[in-house]
Amino acid sequence: MERMIIFCMLFFCFSMVLTATSPKAMKYKQLSKTIDHLKDVVKDKDVELLHTPENPGDGCLLTAVTCFQNGILKLQPKNSQVNATFAKTVKILRRPFLPVSEEHCESSCESYERKKPQEFLNSFSKLMQKLFKNSTAERYGKSTI
Amino acid sequence: MAVPGASLVPILLLGLGTCLAASPSPKGVECILFNEEYMTCTWGSGQTLTANYSLYYWYENKLPVVECQQYLWDRSVRIGCRFEQSEIIQFQAFYVRVNASCNGQTLEIPSNRMELQNLVKPEAPVNLTIHNMSGNQLQLTWSSPYPKEQCLEHVVKYKSNKDTSWTNQEVKGVIFSFPSVDYEKYYTFYVRSKINNYCGNTQLWSEWSVPVFWGNNSTSKGSSGPERPRSPRRPRSVLTVSPRLVAGVAEEQLQWFWIHTVLIPIASCLLLLVLVVLLVRMERVWVIIMPRIPNPSKNFDDLFITHNGDFQVRWLPWLTTPLSWWQLPTPLTPLCPSRNGSESLKMLWRVSSPTTVKASAT
Repeated sequence: MERMIIFCMLFFCFSMVLTATSPKAMKYKQLSKTIDHLKDVVKDKDVELLHTPENPGDGCLLTAVTCFQNGILKLQPKNSQVNATFAKTVKILRRPFLPVSEEHCESSCESYERKKPQEFLNSFSKLMQKLFKNSTAERYGKSTI
Repeated sequence: MAVPGASLVPILLLGLGTCLAASPSPKGVECILFNEEYMTCTWGSGQTLTANYSLYYWYENKLPVVECQQYLWDRSVRIGCRFEQSEIIQFQAFYVRVNASCNGQTLEIPSNRMELQNLVKPEAPVNLTIHNMSGNQLQLTWSSPYPKEQCLEHVVKYKSNKDTSWTNQEVKGVIFSFPSVDYEKYYTFYVRSKINNYCGNTQLWSEWSVPVFWGNNSTSKGSSGPERPRSPRRPRSVLTVSPRLVAGVAEEQLQWFWIHTVLIPIASCLLLLVLVVLLVRMERVWVIIMPRIPNPSKNFDDLFITHNGDFQVRWLPWLTTPLSWWQLPTPLTPLCPSRNGSESLKMLWRVSSPTTVKASAT
């Protein structure tokens, strides 16, 4: 009887952990919005071209994200009025958001083609779309905005 | 001989003229992923094309080039290709090449670089339901056959029988609240969906859903669209959803909603609380979690006082074997000897003070 009670309690605890919603999807959504804000304030002419990972495979995600985060440092605001927004969005995007793991990627950051800031940010956006789509749970009727 | 490029098409047309009809060459390849279940890439219709077509496709960094496994036909001409779910990879550059051959000559029609996550067309929403809320408010809900609801955005199109044009309202979730409804009017609602910016860059809306109606259709003035023609004063029919029926359905839906989001969490919390309380209160269980380590010193206070520190204690026979944790004696469980015949271990206790007990085996 007492063992049954203990097992019931353990079962409850585990089931509660499993039903907790993953915050990963929300994180990628937030990052997508931030990249859109940055696209509005970034300077696109007469600037340095940046290495842009294009559709990295699943084994190269961490490398690609690191490449994007390093490239963001080289961006510039389009005028002095948007300095505050620019600084805020860059700070959010520089924070690490993928777990550190062993990754053996064949392509390094420098192997990717260099592109203009808008295309660079479009590719970053696309990577966020991929991560968000893969992390959304297939539940009926639930939507978290 | 394959000759790609638009500039060479006119020259080829002279040679392929006998095969090709009025519209000389396909305009281009158009691919659509239907609800992410299958994809079709088409290049024309049977009316305009007469050559022999074949399609080849590949993904960037993932050769080899593969031919289409399942062609779509129209009047014995291949006009498209169907891809199954296993052949579809999103977030990878996708290329297609269509070869048109006739009388031994071949024309290649290359396509642009495509990314399949931008070509998804979800299925139309289903199960449109209207709930009556308090204060003349209506709530429209639906569900989508597309598996990932968080990837969708929706548009609700509605009109009353007294309006002349449709009103479009963008919605992010699966609930649309209509603030003030006129009970004299007869409303029609449609919904359609699209992949939102968090999952792709598409402009492909789904088809409009099956409509849902609400209200009193006593006058058919100004009504248009696919509703039935003039209906009698009482709006009871197979297609329309009368307010009373809607209220019934709404209540059932509402009940189900409350059960799911309120009752079940509260019930499970209460059950957990009950289990915790039981655990703490049942001494048997408590002792198992926090076993009492026998402390012989306190038991011998009285003996020490009576016999002035010099007494013998006989150790119990069945304790010559090591104890398992569930065999520890508790105040409620009397000790029962399991076997006879094992040697008893006589222990001599030399007590120097009530708190320290030294024992030596004899």
